[in-house]
Amino acid sequence: MIADLFERLRALVFPGRWSRDLDEEMRFHLERETAARIAAGADPDTARREARLAFGGVDRYAEETRDANGVRPLEDLGADVRFALRALRRNAGFTATAAGVLALAIGATTAVFSVVHTVLIADLPYAQPDRLVRIYNQNSPTNIWALSVVDLQALRQETQIFASFGAARFTSVAMAGAGEPEQIPAARADAGFFTTLGVTAQTGRLITPQDEPPGAPAVAVVTDAFARERLGGPAAAVGRTLTLDGVPHTVVGVLPRGVAALAGMRVPVWPVLQLSPPTRRGPFGWRGIARLRSGVTLADARRELVSLSARIFPIWQSGFKDQAAHFTPVSLRRTIVGDADAQLELFAGAVVLVLLVAIANVATLVLVRASARAHELSVRATLGASRARLARLVATECLVLAGAATAVGLGLAALSLRLVGSLAPGLPRADEIAIDPPTVLVALALGAGSGLLIAVSPLAGVLRGSLTAWRGDLRRAGGGRRANAVRGLLVAGEFALAVPLLLAALLLANSFLRLERVDPGYDPSRGFSVALALPPSRYPDSALAGYWRRAVARAQEVPGVVAAGVTTSPPPDNGGDVNNFNLVSHPVPDGGAEPVAPWPVVSPGYFQAMGVPLVEGRMFTAADTGTGPQVLLVSRAWADHYFPHEPVLGQQLVSGGCYTCPRSVIVGVVGDVKYQGLSGNGEGVYTPLAQNPVRYATLYVRTTGAPEPFIRPVLAALRGLDPQMPLAALTLQEGLRQALADPGRWTGMLGAFAVVALGLSALGIFGLMSYVVRRQRREIGVRMALGAEPRQVAAMIVARGMRYVAVGTAAGLVLAFVEAGWLGALLYGVAPRDPGTMLAAIGVLLAAALVACGLPGIRAARIRPLEAISGE
Amino acid sequence: MAGPADLLPGTLEVLVLKALSLEPMHGWGIGQRLDQLSRDVFKVQQGSLYPALQRMLRKGWIRSEWRVTENRRRARYYLLTPRGRRRLETETASWNRTAAAVHGILRLKLADR
Repeated sequence: MIADLFERLRALVFPGRWSRDLDEEMRFHLERETAARIAAGADPDTARREARLAFGGVDRYAEETRDANGVRPLEDLGADVRFALRALRRNAGFTATAAGVLALAIGATTAVFSVVHTVLIADLPYAQPDRLVRIYNQNSPTNIWALSVVDLQALRQETQIFASFGAARFTSVAMAGAGEPEQIPAARADAGFFTTLGVTAQTGRLITPQDEPPGAPAVAVVTDAFARERLGGPAAAVGRTLTLDGVPHTVVGVLPRGVAALAGMRVPVWPVLQLSPPTRRGPFGWRGIARLRSGVTLADARRELVSLSARIFPIWQSGFKDQAAHFTPVSLRRTIVGDADAQLELFAGAVVLVLLVAIANVATLVLVRASARAHELSVRATLGASRARLARLVATECLVLAGAATAVGLGLAALSLRLVGSLAPGLPRADEIAIDPPTVLVALALGAGSGLLIAVSPLAGVLRGSLTAWRGDLRRAGGGRRANAVRGLLVAGEFALAVPLLLAALLLANSFLRLERVDPGYDPSRGFSVALALPPSRYPDSALAGYWRRAVARAQEVPGVVAAGVTTSPPPDNGGDVNNFNLVSHPVPDGGAEPVAPWPVVSPGYFQAMGVPLVEGRMFTAADTGTGPQVLLVSRAWADHYFPHEPVLGQQLVSGGCYTCPRSVIVGVVGDVKYQGLSGNGEGVYTPLAQNPVRYATLYVRTTGAPEPFIRPVLAALRGLDPQMPLAALTLQEGLRQALADPGRWTGMLGAFAVVALGLSALGIFGLMSYVVRRQRREIGVRMALGAEPRQVAAMIVARGMRYVAVGTAAGLVLAFVEAGWLGALLYGVAPRDPGTMLAAIGVLLAAALVACGLPGIRAARIRPLEAISGE
Repeated sequence: MAGPADLLPGTLEVLVLKALSLEPMHGWGIGQRLDQLSRDVFKVQQGSLYPALQRMLRKGWIRSEWRVTENRRRARYYLLTPRGRRRLETETASWNRTAAAVHGILRLKLADR
């Protein structure tokens, strides 16, 4: 086995030396034989002749030995490849088109595979990732929320089902000590968080249990990238001090290189999480990550957690009453990937359709070309080339074409993957995407597969023995009914695949346009926002309300500012806090889950700053303070939902499950603002800032005209209030644009695919009909000589082409109906089987096909009968 | 049976193995030794040795190396590998069995007559 390989390799890798050795060996043999014969008394000439005779044909045996060295098949392959390359080079236009189309398709498919594989399929980059779960609170199938400090303490002690448990809180901190003060995302984590994920430090150490008690020296861990960019490298970073929200934190360690996110949180800094003993059940905002013990299934964990909830929750019932609520484990992978799968699946489906269209297209090209080469092939057949040999030539050519396309496609994929970060910024796990071995394998498989698919029909032609026909009448060569049917089928197939793509793209575009026209519920034309955070080190709880009041006042003093106000929930995408509530007049039945709604905490000026109208009742006033009765404003959509037939003013409700707290009363109804995405509903319940001190909020400023000139003076005014506060402004227009960026990008990408598929299909029918016209030149000439009008001839060609298109489109509509069910979740305001959109898709398609068939039709109409008949 | 006999298929390889079991040899030497051993009963064209040697190289029964002959010429010598030696043994045993059986059958036929 090894000897065999070794011998073959020697002959393959050093063919020159191998041949020289054989020559020398045989020459030596003849010399010895001659010498022996001379020694026996023969004269030299006779001896030499007899030696050759005894050897029996030097060339023949040299050739036989060569055959025996086992590389003959490979050498033949080499010859075939060289032949294929020559043939492809001779026809550069065809080669460039076919290889280019294939390369684009393979590149796109490979890139998308890489993304889908990494994001949706590949394991998370942690040890035994399937044992990792995130723990939530849950009170209904659709309502789950994060953990509270009470929850964390209970779950930390749970060792029956958890091998380890850790907690983290995603937040934003004002950072000083590494360049300009700035607001950065951060996640506070405990020691268990890192051990649960199985992460180790690259340099220094991670957070340990000794760091966790409140009052212990504050420490932080940073990412490798942050250490390099801001702290002079991992080694220099350890020991540095970062001031986070005013508290100095010592950097004790650096995460491994390439780790940009942990458990779905992409933050540069990981300060220690120090928890004070809880006084009540809420608030909720901590993430609990657990590693299940081996042998514990998700179902086991769920059961155990429900019984744990039953033991813990009643203790804190005074502050949180929700009998349906319990802990629930969700696989970590599911929480990270989230709803990226629906979009990615759509995307992957689209790419596969484009790939198929491209393959069909190239197959048509190859077929048409095979007919053009019928002459060459038939000559070869006449000269004695076997069918197997011709088949090999044709197949090799297709595979060489596909091989070149694969190489280029891989390059394109690598290029486009670099752009993934900017094309889809919200994509989870984007940092893990790369051209990895599975991706390369897929590209190779795609290349080989498409090569074979392309080769099928010309191969069938060669093998079916139409060669004999070719020998006879060259003019009719390759133009058999059957070949025509195959070509027509391929072109029809392209259209069939293009229909669902086009329809999906139009539906998404339709949905996107509607989304763009959605009323966000506020006036985005004249205003901007500034996100503000008050670190506990400089702002004790008692100082919060004062800061917000002063900030609003300072902003309002700036000339050109019409109104200013703060909110904890920046619309339209950042829902901020969501709260559960119970209506006093219509309480949920025992055991039922309380409803929830977006719950912005706002200052009185917020509504005016955003241009949100008062519908009924009154707005918040300066009189609504912590000492007064708890008041609420609700949106019109909320009022219509919960009090469709009753007056809403004066209704009371219990919020946050706090049944011992004073009840809140609804004093007014305002316009609907979209807090949960532009496609969400407009429900919302507002509470006054004065009654709910907060640390994080966004200041909204309404200006007399375009907001840009007023940003600088307002920021300057705020800086006068607190020079250390990081400040950045965002115009309302820009915020709205960002909310639309993601759906816009998806729509654009799918649209690009649809255009490519449509273009390829049109190219396919154009190529086919052009070929038909070329081949039937003579016949058309005869018709025209017999009196056919050019118009009739053109119509005939167009009609023939459109027949294929019609068949394909009909088949495509069936595909589109299947697809529709799948698309529904991604659409806003338009049904997946929207007849108007469907008609539009068909219209676009037919128009493109008409143009594509019309051009060859016109060419046919211009044929001059005499030339066509006489000139062969 | 006076003239040279044709070789049964596969026999050439066994004979080469046998020749090489005595000492490493170059191609010409193997041919001479075969003539000598078979007392000129089997006559093979000398050139046909080389494809056979190539096949045996690939099967790992023999290996080759370039050496200098007693006449100071460079020549390719073939050596029996342990695997080739085992092959020779099994081939010899099976040949003996076959030969004995054929011999027995032929004698039987004579006795019947």
